[in-house]
Parts: sequence; C-alpha cells; structure tokens
Amino acid sequence: MGSGPSGSQPRSDRIGAGASGTPEARVDSGLAARHARQHVRQRRVSWLAAPLWIGVSALVMRFRFGYRIAQARSIRARYRAIRRQSDAPMLVCANHLTLIDSFLVAWALGSAFYWLRHFDELPWNTPESTNFARTPLSRMLIYVAKCIPITRGGAREGVGDVLERVKYLLGRGETALLFPEAGRSRSGRVEENAAAWGVGRIVGAVPRCRVLCVYLRGRRQETWGDYPARGDVMDVSINCIEPKSDARGVRRSRDLALQIVRELMRMEAEYFRARQ
Amino acid sequence: MEETEVFERVVKILTPWVKNDEALTSVGMETSILDDLKVNSARLVDVVIAFEDDFDIEIADEDVDQVNTVGDAVNLISGKL
Repeated sequence: MGSGPSGSQPRSDRIGAGASGTPEARVDSGLAARHARQHVRQRRVSWLAAPLWIGVSALVMRFRFGYRIAQARSIRARYRAIRRQSDAPMLVCANHLTLIDSFLVAWALGSAFYWLRHFDELPWNTPESTNFARTPLSRMLIYVAKCIPITRGGAREGVGDVLERVKYLLGRGETALLFPEAGRSRSGRVEENAAAWGVGRIVGAVPRCRVLCVYLRGRRQETWGDYPARGDVMDVSINCIEPKSDARGVRRSRDLALQIVRELMRMEAEYFRARQ
Repeated sequence: MEETEVFERVVKILTPWVKNDEALTSVGMETSILDDLKVNSARLVDVVIAFEDDFDIEIADEDVDQVNTVGDAVNLISGKL
C-alpha cells in the first residue's frame, strides 16, 4: 500500500498504466496531456519534500499552536478501517471554518508517519488563490504541499481545469480534499444553500467514487475565522458515503453535492446534540 | 427561436440571482455573469438548471465551463434548441 518515500514506485508516476476500458482509463481519457505532466511533476516535488513539510506542519500545529485532535487514535483507526473496506477512489469532503482546515483534517486522519508511508492517501487540496497564492513564496509552498489553487468565482474554464485535475488524480488512486461549501461558512454552520456543485461534478464523473465526510470543529470555534484558537481541541467525526443520483447533467452534480452537504449537516447536528 | 428572444429570457432568468442591479440596466451579450452581474458562483448551477427548465434542454457540466458572459449562455442555449 505504501507509495510514499518508503514505497518503491510513486503510483501517479505510472501515467497511462490503466488498461483501456478501466474506470481509471475512462477518467484519464478526457484529460489533456498537460494535466498529466503537471501532476506528475508536482507530485514528485511534493513527495521528495514530504519528510520536511509534513513533519514541520504537524510539529507547528501541535507545539506552536498547541492544537490537539480529540480521540485521535480512534479517528485514525476508523479512517484506516474505511480505507481497507475498498480500493475505490475516495474524495474527502469537510466542513470549513478556518484557513487551516485542510491541515487539521489531514492531521486528524493520520499521523505524520502514516502520511509519509501512504503519501498518495494524503489529500490534495484546492485552496483559494487569493488567500494562499498571493506571493511567489506562498505559491511555492502550496505547490510543495500538494495544493492546486483555485480562484473561486473566477473564469469558468479555470475552475473546470482544476476540477478536471481532481478527477484525474482520484482516478489514479490518489485522494483530494474539497470543501463542498466552497468557502468558509459565514454562519459558522454547514449551509445547504452554499453547496458547490463542482464537488458533485467530480463524484459523478469518477466511477465508484466514495466520499469521506469529515466534520471538524474546535471546541472554542464559535464561528468562522482565520485560525482556531491557540490550544484548541478539535472534535472530529468521519463517515463514508457513496452518493448516487438518477438525474443527468448539471442537475445530477447538484444532487450529489447536496447529499454530501446534508451528510455534513447531519454530522454537525449530532456534534451539537452531543455537546448539550 | 430568435437570438433576441433567447437573450431576453436568459436575462429574465438571471435577474433573481443578480446582485448588481445597476449592471442589469446596460446588460448585453458581453456582460460577465459573475464579474459584472455579481451572480454568486456557487449559485451558477441553479441558474443553469433554470435555463434547462425554461428552454427544455439539457446542459452538461462541461458546457458550463464555457459560460462566462450572457452571450456565452445565449449561444450555448441557442445551440441546443
């Protein structure tokens, strides 16, 4: 399973390895060679630098900001059990309250050592360009940290390009994390009417795609913000679903996205019930 | 159906989602749906579904990537009628 620094051959370096007619090949078929080249190049750089950036990220979250994941062992064990159930592509979808949610979600699902051994399971992220890709340095850092920046509300072709790349990497057995609400929830709660259909578009286009819904919230996180409070403890719940829809076209994508957001809403309701 | 009729129906459908009402007064084929009319990008899917219902057509996900302006929407719809 290991395909990281300790593995023999990075999976995504084997572009074109899927036999014609396989789900992977179908996902690949519509992808321009440019996407594949970009992906292989970035994955390789990220993989080579993984011991540094994954380790530093974990250390900074734990010791610089004092964050903790409540019941991290059981969450990670549950995640590994879900992974063992199937080798189908997996998209991770989480609620979104702070700028560093993607790091927190990854940290909740696995330790730094786990991600180094299972590098392709470590989700790719699609951070908002205006938040994370403003300077050459920040662009370099997010490039190394498995990020594909997206401009929310930008040119449709640019957004479509990123979605195509996410479909591609899922089809190759890698993982991506998307926030189905697109941005941080301004109400501090998961909002059904904020569901971004792009998530559904990906799920609908990747055969057998599973969605790992992750609800993560700091105990002192009253509403949205840039960072969780220093020393905050994160409660995390995870649940794997397989959204299905008989609708077609854009309607299907919206339907699938809504199923994901409603699952996150259900998890959120459970979270607040448990806290009462 | 004439292009002008498609245009008028497209603008009518877009109107409830437009946040910049001023831009509606001078709306044309080159008007950007997101930048000028300030339609929320997350709501674009609802607009497209409204196009589907109103014109009785089906629009694929990938088609939406080509829609930046009102004219793009008009051309997309006209091509499917």
